[in-house]
Amino acid sequence: MADKPQESPASRSRTTRGAVPPADTSPGRGGHDIEVARRPGEREAGAGRETAGRVRQMASAMVGGALLTMGLQSRSLGGAAMALAGGGLIYRGTRGRTLAGRVPGLRIRRAVVSGAPAAKTVLERSITIQKPASELYRLWRVAENLSKVMGHFADVTTTGPDLQHWKVQGPFGRTLEWDSHVVEEHPGEFLRWESAEGAELPNEGWVRFRPAPADWGTVVTLRFRFQPPGGALGDAAMKLLGGVPTTLAHKTLKRFKSLVETGEIATTRHNPAAREGGYAD
Amino acid sequence: MRALCWNGINDLRVETVGDPGIVNPHDAIVKVTMSTTCGSDLHFIDGYLPTMRQGDIIGHEFMGEVVDVGRDVTKVKKGDRVVVPSFICCGQCWYCQHDLYSLCDNTNPKAELQEPVFGYPTAGIYGYTHAFGGYAGAHAQYVRVPHADTDCFQVPEGLKDEQVIFLSDAAPTGYMGADFCGIQPGQTVAVWGCGGVGLMAQKSAFLLGAERVIGIDRFPERLKLAREKVGAETINYEEVDSVLDVLQELTGGRGPDACIDAVGMEAHGTGVEYAYDRTKQALRLHSDRGEALRQAILACRKGGTLSVLGVYGVMDKFPIGTIMNKGLTVRAAQQHGQKYLPRLLEHVVKGELDPSFLATHRFSLEDAPRGYELFKKKLDGCVRAVFLPN
Repeated sequence: MADKPQESPASRSRTTRGAVPPADTSPGRGGHDIEVARRPGEREAGAGRETAGRVRQMASAMVGGALLTMGLQSRSLGGAAMALAGGGLIYRGTRGRTLAGRVPGLRIRRAVVSGAPAAKTVLERSITIQKPASELYRLWRVAENLSKVMGHFADVTTTGPDLQHWKVQGPFGRTLEWDSHVVEEHPGEFLRWESAEGAELPNEGWVRFRPAPADWGTVVTLRFRFQPPGGALGDAAMKLLGGVPTTLAHKTLKRFKSLVETGEIATTRHNPAAREGGYAD
Repeated sequence: MRALCWNGINDLRVETVGDPGIVNPHDAIVKVTMSTTCGSDLHFIDGYLPTMRQGDIIGHEFMGEVVDVGRDVTKVKKGDRVVVPSFICCGQCWYCQHDLYSLCDNTNPKAELQEPVFGYPTAGIYGYTHAFGGYAGAHAQYVRVPHADTDCFQVPEGLKDEQVIFLSDAAPTGYMGADFCGIQPGQTVAVWGCGGVGLMAQKSAFLLGAERVIGIDRFPERLKLAREKVGAETINYEEVDSVLDVLQELTGGRGPDACIDAVGMEAHGTGVEYAYDRTKQALRLHSDRGEALRQAILACRKGGTLSVLGVYGVMDKFPIGTIMNKGLTVRAAQQHGQKYLPRLLEHVVKGELDPSFLATHRFSLEDAPRGYELFKKKLDGCVRAVFLPN
């Protein structure tokens, strides 16, 4: 752990104070920012309500704890690796956001926006795919593909030109639904969408396609930004959308990559096993 | 169907499970005619590799007959007799396109279990923990093979199952290990381990032009196979004071040009010295295995190559200073089987390679737990047990 850049309390608060203008709708097409949107007074909110960021940190620590426990229980080298990894996650989960700080050229921005009721949660990841940008852009716009790629967390149906209906299994047995529409497009390069007015889980997202070096194909970057409803429902919704920061975007991109590179998404569905009636994934 | 399942540490049972079916469009269903044990299975059988679940079907080294194919399979047909590498590879991603098949980007559906440990996930494997994908294994009557056109290799006419089965894993792993050594004429290659992979690495070193090959182990029957079936010189490390001295003398004081580790380090359970010693006591059987890699590093000539095939976790007390100061080249990988299968089949057809001597014991699938028992404890001269699931 010693080689990781240490984030002192002083530098953290400095980052928080160093408020930059909110990047609300600006996608930063050419940039390398990971934006962590926070509301003013978040720290002051104290024990009253956990922010989504805190939830994610805790989730990170919990996953870390599970790995650590699993690793220690296994009493082995592989187990030691698991335990180490678990410890790392706990470390990350308990010391705050460090991802961007370890990536050269990335900087964390904590946007301070006034007057809004809840924290926004930004999930952004990149992946490199063995196809030209123009083809990937086209494939992203195929309704059937989008539905498959988002299939691990949302049921997405295309309801009109540039119009999608999203259905997500929410917390407490609720289903969260919303319509989204494309609000900006640069064919072959960039696409941005927003949820319609009145969405239960207001959100927006964009996907960007840029050439990768040499024969690597195209770098695809995906960003989701969710503005959860307040209270326990909001916190629970954010947990469902990906306990660990960026998991949702990461998994979505991996599914897109597999689908467009191979024509299918790897699965262990219908996997024979001696449990759960003969099949278990 | 019937299948060999992991039910807990050292608890293998043959159970009735569901039949596999076509799930994805590039799948094939293979009726398994022969499958075999692998030393790397012992790591999770003994409880050293996490992410196994009770009821998982194990086994990753197999061959059989194609009985069904998905709608997008174009090359492989029903009725084909095929051998299938243990790693599941898409054939389309950057890694597959560059012959680095076990690093395939698209076949591990549970990558998130592996990413914390490896940073980036490997390909999936049949029957080899959920971190490696959680796919049902091949010690079963049938197995689902994704990406069949990339992963199924047609068996040429006239070859027996025993000649081909080890081309699923042991032979390509060993061959890759020898290939990593970049063998030049006149060179000497030392191989730690005379199990299936080690013996295949030794044979491959000869096929790739080594002048001398030295096999190191402690089981007399395995050393005998190395001498008689491969033509290697052998060292029984329990019968000499210093393997290092013997290797030096055999190589004019220079050391072997390349050293291959085909052992793995199961017994060296954790990174801390206390646990290391405790494990060593608890598992005397494997206590010297961790020594193998360090010994290979020490024995290798200056500027030589270290080729690692053994399965490892995170190693403590790893002598990187020795590697650095001696200017060793380190190569390592899980097998890129799809790269090597065509040339290995050619070697078998030409009679230059016949791995069938590894199959020391045959069992029905129902007796597979007994097969693993013999294999694990190396009883009755067992090198590999093969199973006939149908």
